[in-house]
Amino acid sequence: MSERPFIIRISSLSKHYTMGDQLVKALDKIDLDFRENDYAAIMGPSGSGKSTLMNILGCLDTPTAGRYELNGQNVAEMDDDELARVRNREIGFVFQTFNLLPRLDCLRNVELPLIYAGVSPEERLERSRKALEEVGLGDRIDHKPGELSGGQTQRVAIARALVNHPSIILADEPTGNLDTATSRDIMDIFGRLSDAGNTIILITHEEEIARFTRRIIRLRDGRIESDSAP
Amino acid sequence: MNSSLQQFRYETGESLNIAVYQIKANKIRSFLTALGVIIGIVAITMMGTAINGIDLGFEKSLSMIGYDVVYVQKGSWSTMGQWWRYRNRPDIETRYAAEINRIIEGNPGSELIVAVPQMSTIQASARYRDREILQIFAMGTSHDYPLTASGDLSAGRFFTAQESAAGDAVCVIGDDIASGLFPDGRATGKSVRLKNHNVRVVGVFKKQGKFLGLFSFDNQLIMPLGAFTKVYGKTPMVTIRVKIRDEKRVPEAKEELTGLMRRIRRLPPGKADDFGINEQQAFKSQLDPIKNGIAVAGIFITGMSLFVGAIGIMNITFVSVKERTREIGLRKALGARRRTILMQFLIESVMICLVGGIIGLATALSITVLIQNLLPDFPVSFSPMLVLASLLISVATGIISGLAPAISASRLDPAVSLRYE
Ligand SMILES: Nc1ncnc2c1ncn2[C@@H]1O[C@H](COP(=O)(O)OP(=O)(O)O)[C@@H](O)[C@H]1O
Ligand SMILES: [Mg+2]
Repeated sequence: MSERPFIIRISSLSKHYTMGDQLVKALDKIDLDFRENDYAAIMGPSGSGKSTLMNILGCLDTPTAGRYELNGQNVAEMDDDELARVRNREIGFVFQTFNLLPRLDCLRNVELPLIYAGVSPEERLERSRKALEEVGLGDRIDHKPGELSGGQTQRVAIARALVNHPSIILADEPTGNLDTATSRDIMDIFGRLSDAGNTIILITHEEEIARFTRRIIRLRDGRIESDSAP
Repeated sequence: MNSSLQQFRYETGESLNIAVYQIKANKIRSFLTALGVIIGIVAITMMGTAINGIDLGFEKSLSMIGYDVVYVQKGSWSTMGQWWRYRNRPDIETRYAAEINRIIEGNPGSELIVAVPQMSTIQASARYRDREILQIFAMGTSHDYPLTASGDLSAGRFFTAQESAAGDAVCVIGDDIASGLFPDGRATGKSVRLKNHNVRVVGVFKKQGKFLGLFSFDNQLIMPLGAFTKVYGKTPMVTIRVKIRDEKRVPEAKEELTGLMRRIRRLPPGKADDFGINEQQAFKSQLDPIKNGIAVAGIFITGMSLFVGAIGIMNITFVSVKERTREIGLRKALGARRRTILMQFLIESVMICLVGGIIGLATALSITVLIQNLLPDFPVSFSPMLVLASLLISVATGIISGLAPAISASRLDPAVSLRYE
């Protein structure tokens, strides 16, 4: 058994939505842990609760019931400002649709989390440049997202997720909008980041993508169906 | 504490960048949005400029009426327009000046320095050869007149005590008369014709300018009292000008002068004054209704356009929040706090208003310069206070109109916003 410390401990966590007079249990009493340097894929059919889980893990949303501990802190009890701080310091997001600001060049996009962290402009520049180099875009720092390919755009987004050295990287269908070859490039980057010690959780519905990870969690109807190595 | 201050600085810097970008990216929309503010600022600055100008024009044009001079007249300026109340009063006589002077001389502690008689007519004209100036203001007075008026001479001199006592046919003329009758030559030494008398010009006043087109001292002709009555006979328009010791003690001086006049008129105690004692302040307050009218109109127009402008800005900012829902969600996901988003949109609306305010100020300034060039007599004056007030009003408008949309942006749910198409 692994001796790596826990980063995330979730117990009996539920998220309910009411649609009209109908109660939707998007997550139903889930127990789940992640340790440092985990590299996990969350899979499941559409509507099984993957995005809901990801939003709660990323502190974008709060659970209806249950406990969510991130680095020993109970996130369910945090106020808005504390949640913003956790998102800023502990979590790096990668989205299916990239979510870069088209008017800003790569460097400016990547430095955004550092602005909200109160990092000085000089240090922001240096760290953003380094993050872009890590994803192989050191020569594209002054390009705007519109001038890049889909794969390059997602790499910029990964650099942005990395730049503030988060405890976990959360990626919701990061290859969902990319072709097979480009998807493999992106998974190579995640692989390298994992080898470097990062904790990575990604959502995917493609088995070939999930096979790059070391742990696959399958959801169905808001419950964990299985949790195992690929 | 220090690091959160730094964070505040960096976040504000980012908000400023975003605001500048948004305004540049939506130039026409921003301009239309700011239009209400622009009109409001133009209205309020033009109002202030006009009011300043009236005050300034008054100071400038009526500088011949000093603050340290009071006027004994039949009526009172502060109740101008009610001439019927004074109809039955006895006329003021020029000899009162001499009587007042005699009493002052015997009283070293007097608030009064010297009294000068003035008899005048507006039904006068002056000729020189084939030129004629109609509707001049002719006045007979004593050599002490310059003590009670501050008009400088551009040529020649004022008449002397001897000329005054003898009633010599000499005169000092205003600039309009000088340039009208002697367009290409010196006026002094020449004789102008008043009715069928020749009167020699000994001095010319510097140009004073018009005030609101109402008053001008540039068409006056001043001569010894004796000469005046020889030409025009005795006219009823008589004033005793009295110079006082201290312009801060006008009430005391008026009090003393009232006593002197009652003595001269031999009014028994209990009988009301049958003369008026006037001062510049009373005359100046005649303009208060005009100034108030301008202020009310200006404030009304300003208020209306700022109100319309604020609603427009609120609307546009709401649209802007809607358009950028995804961006707001992203920024929150990356660590922006509520107050950061709130600030971002407030700064944006404040900046639109500030730009509008500055455009408004520039417009008002251009109009002011234009008026000054086209109508030099029209009083306008720009002041730094107006600039400051305009900028403050612009900022306040921005905050008021941006607050509601900014709050709604700051409360957006990040998870929902990120899904927004
Ligand atoms: N904001 C919401 N309001 C109502 N129902 C929601 C909301 N978000 C998700 N759901 C419902 O919760 C369930 C799980 O959704 P989701 O987590 O998006 O699934 P997945 O990402 O696996 O497709 C679905 O039935 C979905 O309709
Ligand atoms: Mg989903």
